[in-house]
This record gives sequence, C-alpha cells and structure tokens, in this order.
Amino acid sequence: MLPCELTLVAASDAVRRRELSPVELVESVLARVASVAPLNAYVTVTAERALAAARRAEQEIVAGRWRGPLHGIPMALKDLIDVAGLPTTASSRVRADHVAEVDSTVAARLAAAGAVLVGKTHTHEFACGLITPQTANARRADRIAGGSSGGSAVAVAAGAATFALGTDTGGSIRVPAALNGVVGLKPTYDLVPRDGVVPLSWSLDHVGPLTRTVADAALVLPVLTGQELSTVDRKITGLRVGVPRDHYFDQVDPEVEGAVRMAIALLESLGARLVDVDIPMTRYFRPIHWGLMVPEATAYHERTLLGAPELYSPEVRVLLEVGALVSAADYLRARRARTLLRREWLCLMETVDVLVAPTTPITATPIGHTDVTWPDDFAETVSEAHARLSTPADITGVPALTVPIGRDHAGLPIGLQLMGRPLEEDLLLRLGQACELELPPPHP
Amino acid sequence: MSQPLTPAEVARWAAHAGLPLSPDRHDAVAAVAARLHSVVAVLRELDFGDTTPEDVDASL
Repeated sequence: MLPCELTLVAASDAVRRRELSPVELVESVLARVASVAPLNAYVTVTAERALAAARRAEQEIVAGRWRGPLHGIPMALKDLIDVAGLPTTASSRVRADHVAEVDSTVAARLAAAGAVLVGKTHTHEFACGLITPQTANARRADRIAGGSSGGSAVAVAAGAATFALGTDTGGSIRVPAALNGVVGLKPTYDLVPRDGVVPLSWSLDHVGPLTRTVADAALVLPVLTGQELSTVDRKITGLRVGVPRDHYFDQVDPEVEGAVRMAIALLESLGARLVDVDIPMTRYFRPIHWGLMVPEATAYHERTLLGAPELYSPEVRVLLEVGALVSAADYLRARRARTLLRREWLCLMETVDVLVAPTTPITATPIGHTDVTWPDDFAETVSEAHARLSTPADITGVPALTVPIGRDHAGLPIGLQLMGRPLEEDLLLRLGQACELELPPPHP
Repeated sequence: MSQPLTPAEVARWAAHAGLPLSPDRHDAVAAVAARLHSVVAVLRELDFGDTTPEDVDASL
C-alpha cells in the first residue's frame, strides 16, 4: 500500500512511530494529486508550501515535538475556507482576484495541529448545488462527484488527500462523501466555527471533515472544535436505532434501500434495538430549506450581484436573483417553521438515540444527467433528489454522518446516514464504526 | 395560493428590493420565482401561534 492510500489513523500512527516521514507521505499524496489530475478535484495545489510544512513537521517529530495525530498529515480544504495568502475562489469567476488575508479558524486550528495543506478543492460554485459539475467521481470518471464539497470527497477517495474539510448546507458534505464512498460528518450546528468560511446560508451552514474511515473522522473533529480527543466507544448494545417509516425510504432506488436495510439488520444483530418512527413535518422540509437558504444567499451576494452578475454561472445567478423576490413574510415563516420542526424533531429524538436512513436516494448519476424519474412518474432534478434526504439535518442542526456500506450493480458507492441528538457525534461515530468494521470493505 | 409573478411584476419587485434586473432577465427569473414561491407558500398552512423564529442552538 502506498502512503497516500493509508487511512489517517494508519498514517498518523506510522508518522508518530517515525516509520513514515511526513515528507514521504506528502510526496506520495502530491504524486497521486498529479496522477488523478483529470478528475479535477483541486482548484489550487500548494505543493511547495506542503513540502516545506512536511519538512518542518519531520524536524519537529524527530526532535520529539509530536503535536498530535494530525501532525505531518496531508489534507485539503474546500475552496470556501480561507487560508492566509491563498485565493479563496469558491470555484467562481466572481472571486478570481480574491486572496485571503487571514486564516479561517478551522485552517488555523489544523495548522496549529501540524496538518499539512496540500491544496484547495473544487466546490459547486459558491456551494449552490449538489453536483460540482467540473469534477469527476473518484470511482467512475463518467459519473458526478456530487456536491457541493465534490473536490474534497474526490480527493479523499482518490488518495489525493488523507482527509479534507467540506461544508454542508443541504447535504454538501454527506452527498459527495456517499457518492464517492468515503465518510462525511456534518457536525451539530455551530459546533465547528464558520468564520473565514464563505457562507451560502448563515443559518444552515456547517463545516466538517471528509475521511476514509469513521475513526479518521474521530481524529479530525476534536481539532476543529478545540475539544479533547476521545476514543470511539464500540458498545452499541441497547442503543435505540430509529428506522423511519416515511420520507427517508420514499422514492429511493431499490439497491440503495437494500444496502441500507442490510446495514440496519447488522446493527440489530450487534445488539441495537430497532424502533420504527414517523418523521415529523416532512411536507415542510423543502419549503423551509428554500425559504431560508435562497434569501440568505442573495443577501450575502448582493453587492457582486449588482456589480458583476455576468460572472456567475447561469444557474447560480438566477437562484441569487430570485432570492431578492422572497418577502420578509416568507422568510420569517421559514424561520418559525424551523422552530416548530426542530421542536418536533427533538421530541422524536427523545424516543431513539439515532436515526438511520440512506444518505442519498440514488448512487452517482452519469455526468450531464440532470433529472430523475421514478417508477410512479414522479420527476425531480438530481440535486432535489439528493437534498430530500440530507436537508432535514441541516434545518434542525442535528449531527449527521455518512458511512459507505456497499456498492450497487455498477460498483458505485452507497452511503448509510446516521443522525443524532445535538452534540452527540460520539454516538454516530460509534454506530458508524460498527458498520464499517462488520461490513465488507466497500472498495476493492 | 397566490398567482405567480409576471415578468413585469418580477422587474418591479426586484427593483423595489434593490437588485434591479436587466430586461433580458425578467422571463428567466419569473420562471424560477414561480417555482420558489409555490414551494415556500406551503408554509402558510402552518398555524404558528406564538412560535418565535429562534436561532438553532447547539446546546439544546
């Protein structure tokens, strides 16, 4: 196995034991970045900076100054996340001349932990979509990467970063993670600082890690939050696992549903107690999400929308223009409806410890394939299909984790979504790791 | 349910909101606005009572 293919846990352990030099690890990742360049995961590759940081890490570790599990580990940041001295393009012509003056809090915390920045990864323009059309899927290059953190997911899946950060406003960490067969964690709202991160929608945005394993995510999260590292408990006996009767299994591909049902049966066989649950207020998920996200996005982009609207892609431009037509009455209804939904959701979460569901209703679709039509003739866009299952955790702010649990007939990854109570990421990691350890590896 | 905005109404609303549109944008924006408004209008069904527009609080 090449160093670039190691999990974060394995790479970190090898670096700490001085069996693997951070320079060797970073060189391996940079070589992989070059060899998978056609996937177009990266906007900017910071090779010289990365090698210099790796050499510093090597010297510190040799001198006995190991900073922790991310020391000397190559990682990527979605190109919405500021790093001082580097452009933050948001994969948009609007920000072609932008250079960040200071680090975002998450970039600063990763740097302090000794992580090595390999580069900035592509996003669907300004995170306004779940496709990332300029980037190809790491498992099959004729399929979409998913978005909006498509570059981060592809980089991690392809060995072009040991871990990466993304953002999630309507599924943008979990969707590309699921479609590329990696782990993605959307933490509880406000748990990870968002300052220095280009917003899509202030009240819905989350920052979190994309990794190869659940244990890897458990190493990154405490660095982002500034909290103590904790080991992932493996006990799941007696945990109440909520299985939705509605919404999450409606309009879902049978192969995806089959894989998720198998994972649920596995959790039961390991001692979890399954509880059938009804999901509250499902009719209002999309109205709340759109009613919050669209006007908030327009508010952020107001100045550039006035000055240079032609620099946005047509799909993003029209969305931002429409946001100006959402009345304050509609926006406040969305906010009040979120209050109701969150209350209902937290009541539901008193009856179970976690909810399980598919992360996405379909696997990665062919590039250019814009719509999905279900057997009952219900049609929706690919982005709308993915958003159906991922937006509830953004609206309510509860933590959500996706874990790869299998593949469809075409070899495309399928993700299991676990959602928990606020600040109970540890439970999600515990159950996610159980699935990961017990199910066959999702990739050869 | 309210009627969709016409392109002329979209132009007037956008200008009123401080984000005026060039005439070649009116039709495209009106089409997307119709969809957005039809989706968010569903929230009018809800009886909010004294519900406040709370911020999401991680500590809850």
